[in-house]
Amino acid sequence: MTIDPTRTPDAEAILAADGVTIAYGERSIVADATLHVAGGERLALVGPNGAGKSTLLRALTGLLEPRAGTVRLCGDSISTLGPRAVARSIAVVPELAQLPFAMLVDEVVALGRLPHEPPLSGLRASDHAAVDAAIERVGIAHLRGRDTRELSMGERQLVFLAVAVAQAAPILVLDEPTAHLDIRHQVEVMELLVDLNERDGTTIVAVLHDLALAAHFFPRVVVMADGRIVGDGPAAVTLEPARIRSVFGVDPALVRLPVSAG
Amino acid sequence: MSPARPRRALPSVLGLTLALLLAACSTSGGTTSSPPDPTGSIAPAITGTPSAAPSIGSSPAAAFPVTLTDDEGTAVELEAKPTTIVSLTPATTEILFAIGAGDRVVATDDASDFPAEAVDLPDVATFSSVDVERIVDLGADLVVAGGLGFSPPGSIAQLRELGIPVVVVYAPSVEGVYHDIELLGTATGETTAATELAESMRTEIDAIEAATHPGDTAPKVFYEIGYTDATGQIFAPADASFVAEMVTLAGGDVITTGDPASYEIPLETLIATDPQVIVLGVNPFYEPTPEAVKARPGWDAMTAVKDDAIRTVQDTEITRPGPRLATGLRNLAAAVRPDVTLPTAP
Amino acid sequence: MAAGVATGTLRSATLASRIRGRPGLVAGGITALLGVLLVAGVGLGSVAIAPGDTIAVVAHRLFGLDTTAAVSPATETIIWELRLPRVLTAMVIGAGLAVSGATVQGLLRNPLADPFVLGTASGAALGAAIAILLPVTLAIVAFGLLQALAFTGALLAALVVFRLGGSGGPGGLTRLLLTGYAVASVLTACLTLAMYVSGSDLRQIFSFLLGGLAGASWSRLLAAAPLILGACVAMVWRARSLDGMLLGDQAARHLGIDIRRERGILLALASLATAAGVAISGLIGFVGLVVPHVVRQLVGPSARRVLPISALAGAALLAAADLVARLAGDIPVGVVMALVGAPFFLVVLRHTRTGYEL
Repeated sequence: MTIDPTRTPDAEAILAADGVTIAYGERSIVADATLHVAGGERLALVGPNGAGKSTLLRALTGLLEPRAGTVRLCGDSISTLGPRAVARSIAVVPELAQLPFAMLVDEVVALGRLPHEPPLSGLRASDHAAVDAAIERVGIAHLRGRDTRELSMGERQLVFLAVAVAQAAPILVLDEPTAHLDIRHQVEVMELLVDLNERDGTTIVAVLHDLALAAHFFPRVVVMADGRIVGDGPAAVTLEPARIRSVFGVDPALVRLPVSAG
Repeated sequence: MSPARPRRALPSVLGLTLALLLAACSTSGGTTSSPPDPTGSIAPAITGTPSAAPSIGSSPAAAFPVTLTDDEGTAVELEAKPTTIVSLTPATTEILFAIGAGDRVVATDDASDFPAEAVDLPDVATFSSVDVERIVDLGADLVVAGGLGFSPPGSIAQLRELGIPVVVVYAPSVEGVYHDIELLGTATGETTAATELAESMRTEIDAIEAATHPGDTAPKVFYEIGYTDATGQIFAPADASFVAEMVTLAGGDVITTGDPASYEIPLETLIATDPQVIVLGVNPFYEPTPEAVKARPGWDAMTAVKDDAIRTVQDTEITRPGPRLATGLRNLAAAVRPDVTLPTAP
Repeated sequence: MAAGVATGTLRSATLASRIRGRPGLVAGGITALLGVLLVAGVGLGSVAIAPGDTIAVVAHRLFGLDTTAAVSPATETIIWELRLPRVLTAMVIGAGLAVSGATVQGLLRNPLADPFVLGTASGAALGAAIAILLPVTLAIVAFGLLQALAFTGALLAALVVFRLGGSGGPGGLTRLLLTGYAVASVLTACLTLAMYVSGSDLRQIFSFLLGGLAGASWSRLLAAAPLILGACVAMVWRARSLDGMLLGDQAARHLGIDIRRERGILLALASLATAAGVAISGLIGFVGLVVPHVVRQLVGPSARRVLPISALAGAALLAAADLVARLAGDIPVGVVMALVGAPFFLVVLRHTRTGYEL
């Protein structure tokens, strides 16, 4: 594992995985992963298919219990925190799911306020404001009032992104948020993440498949392969051509990285 | 006639006790003394009435109030002589009219078709439901229902919950019919008429039975309750059923299904048993003809078909546990044992 | 909260968007309908009773006013002991079935689910059949053996399905649904066998299967209503969890819902309300399936609106169906529901576009 000497482990990490191993039976998906995320950071997690990125993410958000190692949220072991407490701190963009009932875009985005709402009364004025803001920010105001099930995959992806934005948690976690988007929307989402991070101080952890996007928009890129973290630092270091060839198995020329990365 | 009425010990015991009492005391003259009480559980007879109807807890000076036990073993309390009676089975309708309570019957079920006065009465029950509202509206103070699920148990419970006395009867045997007649006599205060009716029925039926059992072999009789052309299903009397008993009383060796709960018999079994007489029970829902029976495939193997011993009888009087039972038995005996001279009808 | 134009969801788009934002309007409208049905249900029946008498009886019994001098005791009995508990029972059971249906649909994320999908119907029917066939009479708190065994059967079936089906966890909701189907098939086979050997009791078993409210009484209502209504209130209280589940298990977890716990609790509550209803009224279909659908069209999919309004709508629907059943000669309510509900449901489906699916 290449460690960038300019990065020092941050003792004040708000989200920290230490020696996390996740295995099903004999098969280990993630082996001995250590990743510390500091408050206000913006990091991308990349790697080939099956590298364990999504699995590591699930452990980081408390969805999976690791077989070994710990995951700590603001110093507390995440497994000891209730789902609601975690939801107030970490917002995860939902996977594209099949909706069983017709739901208006506004209603879907409003679900992001669930961790904050009181049990019975429903949305307060502050919740409505957060929903409206999220819709504006993600740029889907023109989709208001539409049935989410009738939107294209890309449009739906944006709606689901808005859900997490509406949740307004200090940490935002995304798993391949641009999979179905065209290039323009991909860039717009990336710029939104930068905006959330730099203006609101939201900590961003994103799994991306597009190395160019990762390199261009994220100061810190973590590379995983075969369940292990093999690179952690600025893109110029972790995504240098030799690494791309060895980890991803492709001609680095195929990956257009920005002239000056980071 | 409802299928599958398993024997219950209680009505038989009561009927037997009743028979003993009837035998022990005279029915013609009045008596003010208590009849012999073999069981010790039946209170002294009512002064002034010549019969010994079982009346537990009655005061010696009047027929009412009375508490009687219906055929399900439920104690039913009647505070006064009922003036507004509802009958929920065709058999009980006939009995009520026969014992002279017919002028007090205000409603019946839709299957009650005898006597003619009963047909004109409003219907408050169908095959599957009882109109409790109408019964309440009529101000019924006695409802007679059919047991073993004939009248929906839920409706019976509901009527009782509303404070309307319901007497549930069912007769799995001829003896049970006598008992039910007496029971309804007590319930309506027509004890004299009831006892007379039961007695005359018993006499006539006993006489017919005696006439058809002179010691020679009884012919094997297949009493056809029903037949479905489409499927070839044959419906015969179940073991120990009412119809089976009637056929036996009529002097026949009754062919039964071999199962007290089933009324179906396979064709092979019937052919193997080889009935000598086939009796067709005819009613408004089922009217077979001897010619149709002979034409059925495979049936010509039976002796009865070969000998053309296929006779029709009116099914209702034979299967309905009511006052016309003696007439029904007479007709049945004529069909089963045409060779026997039956005693003259009273 | 749906601002702007609602396109593509309903043919009557503008009407829908206007109503969707006002659940209070819908709730108020249905409550008014309930009032009408209450009056109609008590005033109409196989015996004609003058409206004045009806009012007199109700006034006397409710408020102690001395108004029943001219009313016969029979009329008073019919209104107070027969009709009123029956209408109220219909409303309570209708509410219970509708809320349970909405809950189960949300839990299983399947609009085709109804409260019986996890075996409760077959379990109740088999319990009832056993009770009918047993030569035993028993009464516990105004409930006979029939109600007790139907109730127990329903709950046991749901429990078995829940355990075998993996609780809807990692095995997936499909597994839970399929387990429900399999268990129900086994129970139905046993039921069919019981019906086959039942002889003269067949009619009783059959009338249970068709569903009916003829046996309603105050004692039964007062025993069952707290159970059903309590379960409904509890489900409404937890409706938030159902909202969280709309986007899937993982999303629910990330929105702060403890999926495993909530799923178990909500299924238990839905089974309880359904079992108590079925024990009294037999199997009445459609309410649990159709009512949540229609309500969702009116007020959106948020469970916090759908559940309470479904309760009102379910109450109204069953009360109306029972009234029709009574006036048509006391045919089983389940038959009315199917005859009316099915075509109505088809109409609703035609007017709803289902949209793409992943």
